[in-house]
Amino acid sequence: MSGRLRFNAMHFMPYIYLPENHKDYKSLWVDFSNKNYDPEKGHELYNRYLSELVLADRLGFDAIVVNEHHNTVYSMMATPNVIAAALIPQTKNARICVWGVPPNFMLPNRLAEEYAILDVMSKGRLEIAFPLGTGMEYWAHPISPAQARERFRESLKIMLQAWSEDGPTTHYGKFYTYRFLNPWPRPYQRPHPPCYIVGSGSPETIEIAAELGFGYSSVFVPRKKAEELNATLRERSACYGHTMRPDQFPLLTYVYVAETQDEAEREYAIHLQRFFEDYARAAAYIAPPGYLSVDQLKIRAEGADKMHGGFDLDAISKSFFIAVGTPEKVANLLGEWGTQMGTNHFNNVVHVADMPYWKTVKNMTLFAEEVIPRLQAGGKEE
Amino acid sequence: MAKLVREKHTIDGVETVLYAAGQGEPLVFFHGAGTLGGLEFAETWTDRFRVIVPFHPGFGESGDDPTLTEPHDYLMHYLELFDALGLDKVNLVGLSFGGYLAAKFAVEHGHRIKKLVLAAPACMPDEKHPMVDILAVPAETLVPMLVSNFDVLKKYLPEKPDLNFIGDRYREATTFARLMWEHPLDFRLPRHLHRLKMPTLLVWGDEDRIVPIQQLETWKKYIPEAQSRTFKSGHLIHLESPEALEAIAKFLE
Repeated sequence: MSGRLRFNAMHFMPYIYLPENHKDYKSLWVDFSNKNYDPEKGHELYNRYLSELVLADRLGFDAIVVNEHHNTVYSMMATPNVIAAALIPQTKNARICVWGVPPNFMLPNRLAEEYAILDVMSKGRLEIAFPLGTGMEYWAHPISPAQARERFRESLKIMLQAWSEDGPTTHYGKFYTYRFLNPWPRPYQRPHPPCYIVGSGSPETIEIAAELGFGYSSVFVPRKKAEELNATLRERSACYGHTMRPDQFPLLTYVYVAETQDEAEREYAIHLQRFFEDYARAAAYIAPPGYLSVDQLKIRAEGADKMHGGFDLDAISKSFFIAVGTPEKVANLLGEWGTQMGTNHFNNVVHVADMPYWKTVKNMTLFAEEVIPRLQAGGKEE
Repeated sequence: MAKLVREKHTIDGVETVLYAAGQGEPLVFFHGAGTLGGLEFAETWTDRFRVIVPFHPGFGESGDDPTLTEPHDYLMHYLELFDALGLDKVNLVGLSFGGYLAAKFAVEHGHRIKKLVLAAPACMPDEKHPMVDILAVPAETLVPMLVSNFDVLKKYLPEKPDLNFIGDRYREATTFARLMWEHPLDFRLPRHLHRLKMPTLLVWGDEDRIVPIQQLETWKKYIPEAQSRTFKSGHLIHLESPEALEAIAKFLE
């Protein structure tokens, strides 16, 4: 690693008041009834979570990251642009990352407009990721998962055209027709905010990032596989004449920092366990028909078979980028992973599942005051 | 009873596999949204008809074509297949989604159809008696719903989880989703069905848990001249009711 490193604070804003019998449900996504959502509690949670992200800005995190999910306790950010709009006037320096809205669930001109509004409002602090949307989201929308990738490509083309060319332009495609593509406002950053693709490693999605010269961040991908994906993307991008910068590979990490290793594990493990076992539990909704190729489905079905068994922090920490411990340990792990993954950009999940306010604040504060300076100093020494 | 013989045709670029046997007038069978259970049942018709059972593109042994994204693309596929096979006029039998395709084909190309059999046809909008949206039901729940006597289906299911079996089902669900995810019901059907002037038989299982038997009345309302027969069976009548297979043959003779 060299040069200044970048540290984001990412939040899912989960709804944490699960009913006592929630283990009876195979999935807490898609068909888990919204009768379980209490708006009074939701109101308190929004206020709390927003304050945590505002604190991230004050503590000196380089960016705040929000994203979109539907029909689930996993996230209360069904429309993350609304959350971003609430954060912009309360924050000063942090980049505002909406990573992101699946374009397939929006009209492309509307999404181009919303992002442009956020970018202008924040004076160019916006960054965007384009997810295909998890399989779960397709059950919640009237959009076919079997044509998701094709529609996604067309949406991206329209949005990039809207941002890169003076309007009005036209678009006559398979999914969308625009006689006057001329969205106001235009983005503050020219031609558009920094763009990334986020995904779980489908070759088709990597190829899109390569072709467009976008950054790429993998999610729920084991460490070894994530490293291979970054290598593949570097190669494929070069084929399209793009040279990937290290900051274009945001590395998704789950971090928790405390004074001692024991304390960190004791305070964090239960929330991470609930995150993986409960909040992320989506059963077969993860792969609606056509969302994956048949080959990918088989690979993942085989992998899912192997993942069965009880939660083990050690085991899961070896598969994913999970750094739990003292500032020194977390800094060392991140430093090591940055080198391994060829990135200087750390996208840190600072809150998971039902982690209480005090732990979130403690985690973010220790991370900002004890971990970031260690890593920045390390970076300068090279 | 003759054994069905595999044939492979390339139809507008799509590798199309069909099984055929028998002597007599052509009888074409359109399968539903999955091919669980195979095609052997059709051999019972081979003594009286030239039986032709094609796999739809993206199902069973036929090839994939992701550019076929609406039911009408399948009508065009069959128009081309019938031309390629030199079939001027056929008896057309369709089950479930295949029944819907058969009805649509007969609406548009009535002169190519001698007699029509629609077995528990799908995709009819019916607010009072809606069909099950098979895309919304998990496979482990859906499969037992397909029949009234599970033993009929059991022999076609793997004993333990099998990746290839899962992959095959996912592929067929993908093909079906490509066609029907966004619009699982055809709201144009009611206004077009009056064009079915050929002799038509509606067949239903009285224990159908996918397309409820009450929909028989809805179809009869739109095709008043159609005959109808019901049998003790779930949705997959062709696997469950030899009596239904015989009644279909009798009607077509």
